[in-house]
Amino acid sequence: MRDRIDRLVHDARGPLNTIVVNAELAQLLQRSGGNPERLQKALAAIVNESQRCNRILQDFRDELQRETPP
Amino acid sequence: MDKREVALARVLLVDDDTAFLEATADLLGLLGHSVQTAASVAEAREKLAKGHFDRVFLDLMLPDGSGFHLLDHVDTERTRVTIITGHPAVKAQVMNLYGLNVNYLIKPLSLDQLQPLFEPAAAEADDDTALHFGELIGETPVMRDLYDIIERVAGTGANVMLLGESGVGKEMVARAIHNASGRSGPFLATNCGAFSSELIGSELFGHEKGAFTGALARRSGLFEEASGGTLFLDEITEMPLGLQTNLLRVLETRTVTPVGSTTAIAVDARVISATNRSEEELVEHRCMREDLYYRLAVFPLQVPALRERTDDIPLLVRWFLRGLNRENGTHFSVNDADLARLADYDWPGNVRELRHIVHRACIMTKTDAGELRFPERFGSPFSRSKQPEAAPTLVGRTIEDVERQLILETLSLYDNNKTRAAEVLGVSVKTLYNRLGAYEADNERSN
Repeated sequence: MRDRIDRLVHDARGPLNTIVVNAELAQLLQRSGGNPERLQKALAAIVNESQRCNRILQDFRDELQRETPP
Repeated sequence: MDKREVALARVLLVDDDTAFLEATADLLGLLGHSVQTAASVAEAREKLAKGHFDRVFLDLMLPDGSGFHLLDHVDTERTRVTIITGHPAVKAQVMNLYGLNVNYLIKPLSLDQLQPLFEPAAAEADDDTALHFGELIGETPVMRDLYDIIERVAGTGANVMLLGESGVGKEMVARAIHNASGRSGPFLATNCGAFSSELIGSELFGHEKGAFTGALARRSGLFEEASGGTLFLDEITEMPLGLQTNLLRVLETRTVTPVGSTTAIAVDARVISATNRSEEELVEHRCMREDLYYRLAVFPLQVPALRERTDDIPLLVRWFLRGLNRENGTHFSVNDADLARLADYDWPGNVRELRHIVHRACIMTKTDAGELRFPERFGSPFSRSKQPEAAPTLVGRTIEDVERQLILETLSLYDNNKTRAAEVLGVSVKTLYNRLGAYEADNERSN
């Protein structure tokens, strides 16, 4: 179980990483009046990666539920 | 920051997560750094071979291999590497294998984690340490003379050949010249000994698609890419003599003809070359064409060895230590007694060896210790092998005494084989036995 949790943490860090970097980028772009299209792209990436992270967590939960008798 | 100004650091980002790669590249670009990206080991290797980076951010899980494979292609003495991983267990592995020049960050990254990593690349002087031309540390007379020469030659555009022992910092001097020159193009460095004779022509002059097996696309060479800037050719004497002819032509015509092409392209790169060999060795070993030497060494410049400027050692040690403390969250200091010991050593490996010693001391000293612990003796295996055995003095000794020592040491060398020893000494075996008998009788009389 410990290994599976470690793997979950590792897998979830990928999309979280992209979310944080895009959020920082969005802040910088907004402050500096940067390219609005680039800002939109960063925000879209945050949304997509949040959904990917959610899928990873959901898959983990489903896997546990399948293995755990009701 | 205006991106058209000189970038603070040259960064290579290696990660197969394209969304992360794009965002991070844009983020670092907004902070003023010059960023290139690679999504695979192969792509990163190609970019590392083509140019120098101040910092590499490296993901370990890449589609065509592990990021660790790339570390063998990075000079971690000159390029800071940060491994980005989602797995904390990597830390111990990284520290054990690569020491303190490779650090790691755990995902997710934030700007607060990234920004401090670039502080050394901003070339800010710490406290009282002046960083001349953004690269060089030292206040001794020989270094001040060097700075004067750099200022004079930098603006002339003349090709410079840097001479000096290994580890004196020839590339840093080349960068200093470039920084002082005000040239708008980039500084690109390459080691002429790093490429096979088949590939070096393509690296320097570029190639056309189909020029040779594997030439899948047209590729610019370093001369084109450094146009308007400076091209540093390290270990110039390792360039095959046949290729030196091509290089000479480029320097004379200021054009390159890519491999497989018939069209010459105008280039405007100032060339700084470097060699560990002395001018006498250049002639003796015939490793450079004379006509090429005159083109490359319009201005030959000797970079002083560290032993010629030992008063700079405290400055250098403190500079290295500040960087290592900052990267690793330590607070080591160095005491005056150790600085004096460091100044006493000969430093055959020069500044590189000094940095290595400081780096090792940081690894060997307990994290909570205040002062660095240096080894009892300094010196690498390379420095010790160069030190000649102390020749025993002959003056003041009798002929019999010297003869006795010669005979006994020769016997010892040949494992007491008297026939072999006699042959080497140029005497008969009978003579040798007679001498040994006399020595034995002397010993008995003394006893």
